[in-house]
Amino acid sequence: MSALHGKHPASLLLFFAILAPARAAAPPTELAWSLKSDPRSLDPAKVDDQAAETVRFLTGGVLLRLNRHTLQIEPSLASSWNTSRDGLLVTFHLRPGLLFSDGSPLTSAAVAASVKHVLDPATGAPVAAQFLSPQAVTVETPDPLTVRIHLPRRVVSVGKLFDEIAIEPSGPTTEGRVTSGSFTIAEYRRGQFIRLERNPRYWKHDPSGAALPYLRTIRLDILPNRETDQLRFSRGQYQLIDGLSADDFRHLAQTNPSSVHDLGPSLNTEQIWFNQSVSAPLPAWEKAWFANRAFRVAVSQAIHRADLARIAYDGHATPAGGFISPSNRDWYDTHLRLPPEGTSVAQQTLTGAGFKRVGASLLDPQGHPVKFSILTNAGNRSREKMAMLIQQDLAALGMQVNLVTLDFPALIERLMHTQAYECALLGLSSVDPDPGSMMNIWLSSSPNHQWNPSEKTPATPWEAEIDQQMRLLGASPDDEVRKQAIDTVQQIVADQQPFIYLVYPNMLYAVSPQLTGVDMTLLQPGVVSNIDWIHWKGDSI
Amino acid sequence: MRRAAIVLLCALVATAASVLLWSPTGYATQDREQISAPSSARHWIGTDDLGRDRSVRVAAALLLGLAGASAASALAATLAAIVGVSAAFAPKPLARALLYLCDLFLTLPWLFLLMTVRSALPLTLAPLQSAAVTFILLAVLGWPAYARVTCAGTLRIRNADWFLQARASGLHPGRVAIRHVMPHLRPLLVTQFLLCIPAFLVSEANLGTLALGISEPVPSWGAMLLSLEHASAFSGPAWVFLPIVLLIVVLLLLQLLVTEA
Repeated sequence: MSALHGKHPASLLLFFAILAPARAAAPPTELAWSLKSDPRSLDPAKVDDQAAETVRFLTGGVLLRLNRHTLQIEPSLASSWNTSRDGLLVTFHLRPGLLFSDGSPLTSAAVAASVKHVLDPATGAPVAAQFLSPQAVTVETPDPLTVRIHLPRRVVSVGKLFDEIAIEPSGPTTEGRVTSGSFTIAEYRRGQFIRLERNPRYWKHDPSGAALPYLRTIRLDILPNRETDQLRFSRGQYQLIDGLSADDFRHLAQTNPSSVHDLGPSLNTEQIWFNQSVSAPLPAWEKAWFANRAFRVAVSQAIHRADLARIAYDGHATPAGGFISPSNRDWYDTHLRLPPEGTSVAQQTLTGAGFKRVGASLLDPQGHPVKFSILTNAGNRSREKMAMLIQQDLAALGMQVNLVTLDFPALIERLMHTQAYECALLGLSSVDPDPGSMMNIWLSSSPNHQWNPSEKTPATPWEAEIDQQMRLLGASPDDEVRKQAIDTVQQIVADQQPFIYLVYPNMLYAVSPQLTGVDMTLLQPGVVSNIDWIHWKGDSI
Repeated sequence: MRRAAIVLLCALVATAASVLLWSPTGYATQDREQISAPSSARHWIGTDDLGRDRSVRVAAALLLGLAGASAASALAATLAAIVGVSAAFAPKPLARALLYLCDLFLTLPWLFLLMTVRSALPLTLAPLQSAAVTFILLAVLGWPAYARVTCAGTLRIRNADWFLQARASGLHPGRVAIRHVMPHLRPLLVTQFLLCIPAFLVSEANLGTLALGISEPVPSWGAMLLSLEHASAFSGPAWVFLPIVLLIVVLLLLQLLVTEA
């Protein structure tokens, strides 16, 4: 009997559920998309990964905002700002009546505290280094609405730096719980999701006087698997995909063509490089190949980049010659001279350097067969395809190339710590079109100078020349001098091929037709660059 | 049924070998003008997303998988026979130590161990060497359960009357083991051998889906199944599912061999 008691109500419920008229699906209450990983830190000063960057953009109020379309600096919490003629004093005038999300007043004292927190070496804020001498920077607050920042040295494009400094209440960081930006963090479950709620005291309003942002809540799922991303978008559980893969783009273009968008070449690059570190645990003859300019140039010449773009990216990429994308019009060098591409010209280059072909193998001048491995991260299908295409391109020269995919932590361990690798294939994301932001890649002393990190002194004359030109780029206020400097660096890199650039992947997004007001940009955070203005189609605003 | 299974398996192997022999292209040859091409006279079941002939790759994966799994299974069965028979005849302390060794291997987190060992291998390992290493690793980790079974089977033989009579009549223990014990263990070892083949095939496929199996461009069931992970596979030609269909068929046939053995 007890079993029957248990069954009857369920049967009745099922019966009524079947008879009940089908209702139209309710519109989603929160905008959802995914981050590929947990933010490494929710302290907006410590942002050094893309997930944390997105969260900071959505929650952090800033004095000045970089317009991701025009690349112009626009006032935000500061209604106006100016720099002194010598560039050593930056003055901000705050908007009157600013409040944090908890209702406390946002004054110059909070701004000073946030800036000092960023400049404090103990914080380890990545943006601090761009102030050149952060410890010597002083902040002054003559009144509650004025902030003066004294710089010991002129900083080129100083305004952009304040796009990366979120203004928080004085005291310990609230990790996004109390903000001056569009949203606040309402809930965070590590490895699962971050829920953001609209900041009711955000300063910005639309022309009709309605408070911004229009959206009430956002859910950012932590989802490393891109495949699930696409499935959830197709089911309507997500409304955005930030950075589609070429395969997903093709699949969605077949099922929902109006939802996918190709913005053309991004500012990002995909490249391979050989390990030139003197301390690398590699045989001496391999180090000699990798340090040999002709060897690197021949490898570059043998790679058919048009095939990489067409096959690995389904046409959603552009063959790359240098580190500045053609989308970055101000800095792209249209006169860059690249080594000619082709298998026969690559063979000539190798022959000129003493390499010789014996049967199907290529031997170096000492008779060692040329074989090495290309390391890349597992799970990135486009990179794996590129590596396999390069494997065949180099086989035509007689080089035996092994393809090794490792999970990201194991890969980073080899690249950054043990140096136990021969060649790596990875990408580089540019968050700022100004090449001055790539100082950490090009300076020979930098730990991110990937082919030979943390050189005590430049290992080669051309690296010394790159150092010199990059310092000139960082210090000169003259735009022409800066452009000349970066053109010189681009040409040195094209001649020496320390990074062998492959493609500029296109920026691909998916946006649900349920949304309106989305204005995508190449620069991060791309698909939500104008988050304040995004709303549900049909919502009264 | 057993005979039918053997005939079908042989037919599959012969077909795969014929495809490899007669195909004008190798398993790694990229026809870059024929990316994801449909069936044609040149590519019977089309090409993959790098323009490689799908029939050649499936045939090579089938042969490599079966050969590798059979070799690994033979190695595991041999190890199991050596350890199991030794444990049955050895003095008690040694026997106990050998069985503890089996238990130790059985308690190892084998997937983690495989991942660790595979990622610690030299990066310059050629793809075919990586295939050999993968199957050797599977054999080295796969023998302990069967060693225990072999030991139990050997103990039954050791306690049999005919065995005691053979020993009592003065036959040398080595001769007894080879001439009398091994023939009695053969059905057990053959069954273990046949059981291990599908287990190793599936293990290789699993490792491949974790990108820890056989390296590209050598084709393997694991790498082919990995390509099915993507939703776009479902919008492609039905031939993309051939590897998984073949894997299921081969596993079923091997299972039939075991149950009928």
